Amino acid sequence: MTALAVAAGAVCGVLSGFGIGGGSLLMVWMTAVLSLPQRTAQTINLLFFLPAAASSLVFHIRGKQVCRKAAVPAVLAGSAAAAAAALLAHGLDSSVLRKIFGAFLLLVGLSELFRRKK
Amino acid sequence: MPVSRTRCALAGAAAGIVNGLLGAGGGMVLVPLLTAWCGLSDKKAFATAISVILPLSLVSLAVTAAHSPLPLGQAWPYLLGGLIGGILGGLLFKKVSAALLHRLLGAFILWGGLRLLLS
Repeated sequence: MTALAVAAGAVCGVLSGFGIGGGSLLMVWMTAVLSLPQRTAQTINLLFFLPAAASSLVFHIRGKQVCRKAAVPAVLAGSAAAAAAALLAHGLDSSVLRKIFGAFLLLVGLSELFRRKK
Repeated sequence: MPVSRTRCALAGAAAGIVNGLLGAGGGMVLVPLLTAWCGLSDKKAFATAISVILPLSLVSLAVTAAHSPLPLGQAWPYLLGGLIGGILGGLLFKKVSAALLHRLLGAFILWGGLRLLLS
């Protein structure tokens, strides 16, 4: 089980490193395949993102792919929003969170599947 | 096109709500907003989104940790895998065409969404 978890983390980590939904993928794995409780999966997912993001970010910063002018205001406003939303999530029932997440995945999945080519 | 701070702040806030509430998917919201609203190229939007979601995840985790202990025993294999995958992703970033990955990812995520909704 542990080796499988490392492998799942690695696959999703590559996608996270590309910036295309590794976290969502890992959530699907943990909730829809392994049937972990929604709240546990969310927390593991947040933890997972730290090393995956930090290690790929080193390359992105070196490659001058990070736009600081966009990142700074997004981080400031986003941190406040994340704190408020995480507090809200704590007050919600786990099954409600699961349904909200399911609906969110449906939207994301459809938009990914029918994404316009560039 | 100059980058609008207000638009970037709004995009960041939207990602923050998703990240805090659902613990995932902030990047799925942020990347399209950064390209459509803020005029970033695809690759810059991907890389910038990671730099934004990382601190947002820390904030969400801090709020979570204040309420309940973190499941570190369960999480560590994913963290190890994430570290390996993140390095690979960073190395391969400039060499990969993401079109097929998007379709595969879309199909799997869609399946997951249906399963969660119908369960």
